[in-house]
Amino acid sequence: MAQPKMKRKGANTSLVFTNKMYFFLIPALAFFLIFWIYPVLQLFYYSITNFNGVNYDFDFVGMKNYIKVLDNGTLTNSMKNTLIYAVLTVLISNVVGLGVAMILNTKIHFKGLFRTCAYFPALFSAIVVGFIWSYVYMPGSGMIASLLSMIGLDGAAFNPLGNYKTALYAIAIVEAWKAFGTTMIIYLAGLQTVDESLLEAGRIDGCTEWQLFHKIKLPLISSTVTINVILSVISGLKAFDYSFIMTNGGPGKSTKTLMYQVYETAFTDMKMGRASAFSVLAFAFIIIVTVLMLLYMNKREVEL
Amino acid sequence: MKFKKMAAVALAGVTACATAPAAVPVFAADGYDHEAIENAGDITITMMVSGVATDNDFETEQLPALIKEKWPNVTLEVTKLPDDNYYTSLKTKLASGECPDIILTQPMYAGQNSCYALAEAGYLTSLNDLDCVQGREDSLSSVTYDGDIVTQTAGVSILGTYYNKDLFAQAGIESEPQTWDEFLEDCQKLQDAGIQPIVMGDKDQYVMQFGLYQLAADEIYSKNPDFDTQLRDEEASFTDEGTWDKVLEMYNTLYEKGYIDSSKSLGYGASQAITDFIDGKAAMTFDGSFNATALLADGAAGDFERGYFPLPGTDGVYTATCLSAGYSIYSKSENVDACKELLDYWMDGESEVWDAYLATGKIIATYGNGADSSPNYDLFKPFVDLLNEGKGFYWCNQAWPAGTENEMLSLFSEMVGGQGTEISDITEGMQDKFEDLLDE
Repeated sequence: MAQPKMKRKGANTSLVFTNKMYFFLIPALAFFLIFWIYPVLQLFYYSITNFNGVNYDFDFVGMKNYIKVLDNGTLTNSMKNTLIYAVLTVLISNVVGLGVAMILNTKIHFKGLFRTCAYFPALFSAIVVGFIWSYVYMPGSGMIASLLSMIGLDGAAFNPLGNYKTALYAIAIVEAWKAFGTTMIIYLAGLQTVDESLLEAGRIDGCTEWQLFHKIKLPLISSTVTINVILSVISGLKAFDYSFIMTNGGPGKSTKTLMYQVYETAFTDMKMGRASAFSVLAFAFIIIVTVLMLLYMNKREVEL
Repeated sequence: MKFKKMAAVALAGVTACATAPAAVPVFAADGYDHEAIENAGDITITMMVSGVATDNDFETEQLPALIKEKWPNVTLEVTKLPDDNYYTSLKTKLASGECPDIILTQPMYAGQNSCYALAEAGYLTSLNDLDCVQGREDSLSSVTYDGDIVTQTAGVSILGTYYNKDLFAQAGIESEPQTWDEFLEDCQKLQDAGIQPIVMGDKDQYVMQFGLYQLAADEIYSKNPDFDTQLRDEEASFTDEGTWDKVLEMYNTLYEKGYIDSSKSLGYGASQAITDFIDGKAAMTFDGSFNATALLADGAAGDFERGYFPLPGTDGVYTATCLSAGYSIYSKSENVDACKELLDYWMDGESEVWDAYLATGKIIATYGNGADSSPNYDLFKPFVDLLNEGKGFYWCNQAWPAGTENEMLSLFSEMVGGQGTEISDITEGMQDKFEDLLDE
């Protein structure tokens, strides 16, 4: 008499997601491996060669590319610029995004219209935004310069993109202007999950609006804050678009970010191997900063 | 006819002076199959160029139609991409072995599609047996790699100084300057008359090359045409006294004296500077023959008369003129001989395709029909005259590994932006970058 089969410990007993279903993962997994994992591994491979992007008859150079990148000062300069840019965009886009979300979460007329308008910049491509703001910032006859001239100030002297001290801040503002709509939408979604009865209880207990925000709303949307901050940090550390479109990394090297430097090394200097080494270091840097930020934010969430 | 001959001699002169690590070409005696297309049946030839297609664009519309008219069995498929897309696409296609049959390449080491880099990697076919290069071998030294002509180019590109004749007259300037001192005096006269002497769009740092390379022709190459070869052989250096330090100092004078307003120019893009010039807001701008159409257009100041002169040096006038970008054939193409036949027809100097090519105004042709009737030829004549006299030199960055000029421009930009950068910092930076880029 046949014995009933004993089920292995840990065997898949699900009637919905049977083992056969894993076959359906293969296409997605294959795409992921071929178009993401493989190129990333290639990056590590090229980083120890002197490949110039054209000639495939290249040699292995060991750690030379890494040493050059660390030695010649470009990494330090671009890392400093990237950090300043990231901090500015994270702060501005989140503070403005949260502020606008708070306002647009109240009972005001034309709320839908205002929400649409606030989100509008996020719909444009970086190229369009970059060109628009190039003319906004243009000295002499740009929008801001013209407005300054209209009120009797020296509009001709207004030249944020041509000044070393202001160029990086100027492009960071553009990034924040484009990004705050997206953070606002996420904050708005978070604020709408706050239970009205808690706010009402607070008001009965005599809380001011600031106390309601600080003691009730902010702790309840702390996970939303974490998401927004982390997304902004990642986006800020990958900054490239506006350095490329609006300033070409200038004046001098004042707006050269990590990604811009990688681009320039690879496609202008034609040092694909060194650019790969640069990318590996930038990749490590972004991962470290992001993980540290995530740990810190999660800790803050618990404290709140 | 006289101009045609002059132009041909001119090109020969200027490029003979150009330094190139190229050996003297040895040409195939028998040549390629001149009836390759006729014997091929229906074929498709692919071509990829950089630029932005316009209405009735030459490469994407006129050329395929004219080729179809000449050879009904040939379909020419042309892809035109903006510069950055072109470079990326070219590299990808070369890497995958799917490169178009004909591609646009640049002389020497210029750009990411430099003919020397591509030839070194074995991607380009020798064009020594093309009919249209016979007799022009010396003039094509900037596109000759290891004895093989690898790019067929029909014209030259010029860097010069566009100026507004009305504003010059208003400031009491009667003739074009012949020396650097005269040029500075003219700038001062314009400034005294309340006119901005020069406008530049330095936010796009590459435009600084337009003035610097003119001065380099005056001050460096006129005295030592082999300077760049010596750089590569470590017999010369960017830090050598009286070479780049002098050029940079002269150009910086224009900023120091406010002839170029750095507080404005560093925030201006190239197109914004062009707009200011045609609007009559500045008397001069340094730019190339390739931007003539934009710089000669009507602006807010209407149709004022414009001139174009080479920026003079301390000892006279020389010109920064180089071979234009041209066309190369992919070495692994299945239609090499057909492509050669097509190029020979296009570039023969007399065909319908040639005339249409010339009519675009994008090249200053140096041979064939209408070389002297190219659009704006009168504007370029003084430069051609200088070429005839052997006073023309190629654009410096063509002989440098790509990236050297960017270091120069970044550091120069820092200097005029008041960041405390000195001229010695720039020349040292250029030398370091040059050595670094040559280091394999």
